[in-house]
Amino acid sequence: MIDRELDAILKRVEKPARYIGGEVNMVRKDPAGDMVRVGFAFPDTYEIGMSYMGLQILYHILNQDEHIYCERVFAPAKDMEQIMREQGRRLFTLETFEPISNLDFFAVTLQYEMSYTNILNMLDLGGIPVRREDRVREQQEKGVHYPLVIAGGPCAYNPEPLADFVDVFLIGDGEELLPEVCRMYRDAKASACAADETEAGGTELREVFLSSLCDIDGVYIPEFYDVAYNPDNTIKSYTKNRAHAPQPVPRALVKDIEQAEFPVHNIVPFIDTVHDRAVVETFRGCTRGCRFCQAGMIYRPVRERKPETIIGLAQEQLRNTGHDELSLLSLSTSDYSRFEPMATELMGLCKKQNVALSLPSLRLDSFSFNVLNEIQGYRKSGLTFAPEAGTQRLRDVINKNITEEDIYGAVRQAIGLGWEHIKLYFMIGLPTETYEDLDGIAEIARNIMNINYEIRGRKGGRFRVTVSVSNFVPKPHTPFQWEPQNRPEEFIEKHNYLSGKLRIKGVTFNYHETFTSNLECVLARGDRRIGRVIEEAWKSGCSFDAWTEYFDAGKWTEAFEKVASGAGFENGSSMEAFFNYRRFGEDEILPWDIIDSFVTKEFFKSEAQKAVRETTTHDCREGCVGCGMNQHTECFVNMERS
Amino acid sequence: MKYIIEFSKTGIICYTSHLDIMKVFKRAFKKAGINIAYSQGFNPHPKMGFAQPLSLGYWGLQEYVEFETAEENMDSQAADAHPADPENLLAALSAIMPEGLELKRILEAPWLKKTLAAENIAAEYMIEIPLGSEAVQTLNDRWETFMDQPQIQTLKKQKKKKEPILIDIKPKIQTLDFQCLNETLYINALLDAGSESNLSPELLITSLLDFLKLPVCRSDINVARKRLIFKEDIQSRLYPDVIL
Repeated sequence: MIDRELDAILKRVEKPARYIGGEVNMVRKDPAGDMVRVGFAFPDTYEIGMSYMGLQILYHILNQDEHIYCERVFAPAKDMEQIMREQGRRLFTLETFEPISNLDFFAVTLQYEMSYTNILNMLDLGGIPVRREDRVREQQEKGVHYPLVIAGGPCAYNPEPLADFVDVFLIGDGEELLPEVCRMYRDAKASACAADETEAGGTELREVFLSSLCDIDGVYIPEFYDVAYNPDNTIKSYTKNRAHAPQPVPRALVKDIEQAEFPVHNIVPFIDTVHDRAVVETFRGCTRGCRFCQAGMIYRPVRERKPETIIGLAQEQLRNTGHDELSLLSLSTSDYSRFEPMATELMGLCKKQNVALSLPSLRLDSFSFNVLNEIQGYRKSGLTFAPEAGTQRLRDVINKNITEEDIYGAVRQAIGLGWEHIKLYFMIGLPTETYEDLDGIAEIARNIMNINYEIRGRKGGRFRVTVSVSNFVPKPHTPFQWEPQNRPEEFIEKHNYLSGKLRIKGVTFNYHETFTSNLECVLARGDRRIGRVIEEAWKSGCSFDAWTEYFDAGKWTEAFEKVASGAGFENGSSMEAFFNYRRFGEDEILPWDIIDSFVTKEFFKSEAQKAVRETTTHDCREGCVGCGMNQHTECFVNMERS
Repeated sequence: MKYIIEFSKTGIICYTSHLDIMKVFKRAFKKAGINIAYSQGFNPHPKMGFAQPLSLGYWGLQEYVEFETAEENMDSQAADAHPADPENLLAALSAIMPEGLELKRILEAPWLKKTLAAENIAAEYMIEIPLGSEAVQTLNDRWETFMDQPQIQTLKKQKKKKEPILIDIKPKIQTLDFQCLNETLYINALLDAGSESNLSPELLITSLLDFLKLPVCRSDINVARKRLIFKEDIQSRLYPDVIL
């Protein structure tokens, strides 16, 4: 039950149902006793966090253990935050309304860099000092208990920008790792209690527990490593200060996801979230090897679930949730080795149960068209293509395996079947890009419009094309990790150029905010010195940086300025430029070298060199390309080989 | 077949809007294997609805949702598991309702020709205003004179225009009883409700706070809808044992 104060707060905020929990399938447990209490935090609003499948997976797995209670924490919207601060109300979990400061773990998922200030804000709203050293000191000096802050997810593959704030980073697949960490904590706590009751729960437990974590794959504890810098600000060395700390830290790997738990009692939000639907992960990993794509590298190797497992999970989820939409989750739906029979069976099942089937990121061959035509019926949503680059030359550079003939052929078919909206995704600022490549973007849009006129006559009906352009952000653990990013003025000039070129009747042009992309690059490729910048930006009021309406570029610029000289940089802009506009040296120690993604640096280097030579690398299902993954595990588990 | 469910909505789930609660019912029907009938036309929608939407934050002690099942295309398996017998339906649905939504009873309603919303005429509310000892002293039961005003004017927001208009809410107040207990003012209000004449308790609260010059925050006031009252023939169907 909630108290009167919270009741009054809920009457004053927008969408109070964000803060009440109690949804169908929420887990209720008695938190008393020696329960390990985990606050699984998504550093954005409820609606966004509840659409994230990883939360549902880990929530389900952790709560299967009777000694672990996993509860959810989201970033309160600005109106709620203001009232909470006025009233001194601490950030709480949705399951029990427990202040997060009372938990054992604050476990935050790092899905995108622009959510970093929200993490600091959530800790602060929970009455938890944001800096790790402050928490440890207060624990030592005053015996205050604070939860351990742990962080995982794709952005943890470069943990360094958050190293000042986080106690433990978990790298790689979380299904086995996170519960293991919780159980080890429980053991450490039990033995600490047995050894000396007065010390239990104090700093000794922390040290014992963190040390024990060094024995398992996927754990990076930043305080166990000291970083030194060269006069030119590049990294001189990483030195571990604990003998048994791994260097580099190997990622955690679930070798066979068929064996991994997958939820069927998903929490069903009361309010609309980004996606309200049943979701089954069909496979993890991607074999295509696009050179800009971090997900395509860090989620290797490809591991499939069996079709009967997928269908069983889907049916059970639908039964337990009452959802009327089902979607499949993977990096590329139609790359599933038994896609056709599975999709056919799912279509039949969904039709019978009045459930809408949604199949994202299909490769548009004739089978997919029939499927889409069948499931979308009269209400055809837009058809999306992601050529990513405007010319074949640049698509070869980035190893994006799609030709214009593929696109035009598919468009012809789509128009014939009644689609009226084609969406195209491109990136600008890619390595080796010239204005010719930008002309190619406009060319593709124009050609698609012309195909429509050709098929449907001079007026062309209501047909339209949307061109969305995002700004290339080089990411760690990709072949392009060393690349310099375009400067804002370059991006802006390209946006303007494209605006002119795309002034075509029936074509809409969208592009991303420039400074956001430049900052994203700094947060993605930053080292430990970026932590102070994040902290300064947050202190000056930055939060929800991923929301255009809240993003404040000026405050970030000031934060760089404030931190730069102390961090050894001339000024704020040179500090920023060091991480985004600079070409990183091939032999330089990279901040994320401390993490072993199992895809080797040699592979990234050779891919980068092939990119410059405009040479493609084939899909690794057609033969191993030597990324290094098969040194650690078997690739293509459960896959049907053709 | 048409059915009516009587339910209550209490506790923290009251911070979920009526549209979202509608979705809770929709999913529950799906889970229980009940096939809801859909309207015809280009944009078919399920045939279900509340007798009267309940404002966000209000408790509802006697609420109604009506729905129509599509017997002809009912999944035979599901039909076996949950025959359309009201008792079975009630048990199946009750088991899957979230905390705070309690299903009281379910009745077959072949006699329902229009929607319940169209048959609704009044609603009874309990409004709870915390006063504090000082206000209890100075007010000295002045609320008893509230209804003695010849008119009770208050500003009402209009749907389309920006400017609120002054309206007299007195004719829409059927009865109003005050009771002061433990420094809290309890107001039992029977107000017009439905399509012909409708009064939101919010307007009553605003004008009463104005009248009493009470600086109480809206967020400290609780409102519960105790019951809905329908036109006589429907009312007697819903409550055959009650003599009107």
